[in-house]
Amino acid sequence: MKALLFACCVVFLSAVLANADLRPPIKPANQNAAQATPEPKYILHTGLEISTDPKAYEARLQISQSQLQNFRAALDSAPANPPVVGAIAASAPRTIIAGLLMFLAVSVAGVLLARSSFGRTQKALGTIIIVAVVLGAAAIITRGNAGPPGSYRWRNLPQALAKGEPTTGGVDIEVVPDDQLQGRMRLIIPLKKQNAPGEE
Amino acid sequence: MQSAVELRSWPTARSVPSGRVFVAIVVLCLISSAAFASLLPLQVSIVTVFFFAGPHNWFELRYFLMRLPVRLGRSRNFFLTAFVGLGVLTLVYISLPIVYNATTLSEDAWSTVIATWNTALIVWLGALVWLRSKQKPRANWTWLIPLGLALCSLNWLGPNFFSLAIVYVHPLIALWFLDRHLRRTRPAWSRAYRRCLCLLPFVLVGMIWQLSHTPSLADNNGLFWRITQHSGAEVLPQVSSHLLVSVHLFLEMLHYAVWIVALPLIGSRARFWDVKTVPVARHPKGFPRLVGGVLVFALIVVGALWFGFSIDYATTRDVYFTVAIAHVLAEAPFLLRMI
Repeated sequence: MKALLFACCVVFLSAVLANADLRPPIKPANQNAAQATPEPKYILHTGLEISTDPKAYEARLQISQSQLQNFRAALDSAPANPPVVGAIAASAPRTIIAGLLMFLAVSVAGVLLARSSFGRTQKALGTIIIVAVVLGAAAIITRGNAGPPGSYRWRNLPQALAKGEPTTGGVDIEVVPDDQLQGRMRLIIPLKKQNAPGEE
Repeated sequence: MQSAVELRSWPTARSVPSGRVFVAIVVLCLISSAAFASLLPLQVSIVTVFFFAGPHNWFELRYFLMRLPVRLGRSRNFFLTAFVGLGVLTLVYISLPIVYNATTLSEDAWSTVIATWNTALIVWLGALVWLRSKQKPRANWTWLIPLGLALCSLNWLGPNFFSLAIVYVHPLIALWFLDRHLRRTRPAWSRAYRRCLCLLPFVLVGMIWQLSHTPSLADNNGLFWRITQHSGAEVLPQVSSHLLVSVHLFLEMLHYAVWIVALPLIGSRARFWDVKTVPVARHPKGFPRLVGGVLVFALIVVGALWFGFSIDYATTRDVYFTVAIAHVLAEAPFLLRMI
């Protein structure tokens, strides 16, 4: 009986300790209040590198001064300086017009290239088109969510951490209410559960 | 052909400095302009615009009058398109600030307005290129069509960036004018000049390297704010405004040096205030009174500009850089005539 009570106490205390950092369950009466919690506020997209430092005593999240200024501006409800790329084509109609014109430009250039005799002009046009295509592809991949998903770059994080190697990937920074984090920062890595060898 | 003949008959200087002196002057101009623009961007910008903005427009006007044929002839459509487009685009551009203050357009709608004006500019330039290409049947300028379309596309993606690009590219056009002028009037200097121009990217890279990490300039008063805004501090907030103002000022100083010093000195045997040196005025069927009147009126405007700068520098600077779009546009047809 004593052993059973002791075991119950251990389980209870460990549960309290383990759940201390979790948000308490929302009571039905407060559910509406919980729904009224503001949506996470998106501030910026930046890069994040997770690396190991065997000599470090404490983990560190290093944020640049400009990022911190963006945070401060966001907290003051002041418009932070938008990134240069973000200021491009923020309007759908303008993007459509730009796309149509670029389509025409590439089409006309292709026709001219096909009709012209091989020479310096053709070489120059070919170079311009290749550069435009490369830049366009790069822009689509980096800005248009094309290419592999963000989690792809984090897929080898456990192995890299085990080897003490850095891993680099994209990260979105969000501002959430304080009660959700309780004074901490949370780094959520998009890692899928990897089965150990032999597991289904 | 006509333009070539005109340039061959361009008056030449009595005492022609040697090519080495010319190269030394160009290099000195490049380095000193970069140094002044980097060290004291705001102060030098104020002084430079005060003293040289108006006079450089006067010299530019005089240069264009010298390049104007007495009879338009086959170039009638070209000049008609040039002047009509110049007038309409300038009037619309000047009216934009008035429209902005009078209406409550959203930022997106305003970007569309700017993109439309920029597109009209590109279309006008395209029309001029097409008309000019008809006079040069051996030249193949069809590749400019996709280039123009691509520029239009980029303009619609970021109208503000396109407008800012015009601000930075415009000063370089003066260097192109000087190149074309040297090629026809001083061929011996042309190669040396082009070698000097190769220094320009290195100077620019050096300035960017040195100034990219400098703190932004204090724009805590209206005038400094205007100067940083004109250089694109609002469009490129991540870039140090010190860098932006310095680079723009550097290019502007070169622009003024070409129009006020280089072009008048290279090809003026006679005094530059002599109306008879302008072919349109000198020709028996020309318009000496009209040309004289235009130049005198422009001189009065330069004086008024100095007076305005003395009374209210910030407002006059705003007005000047709005109206000055006319000279930016006017360079296009005359440059095309030289190509």
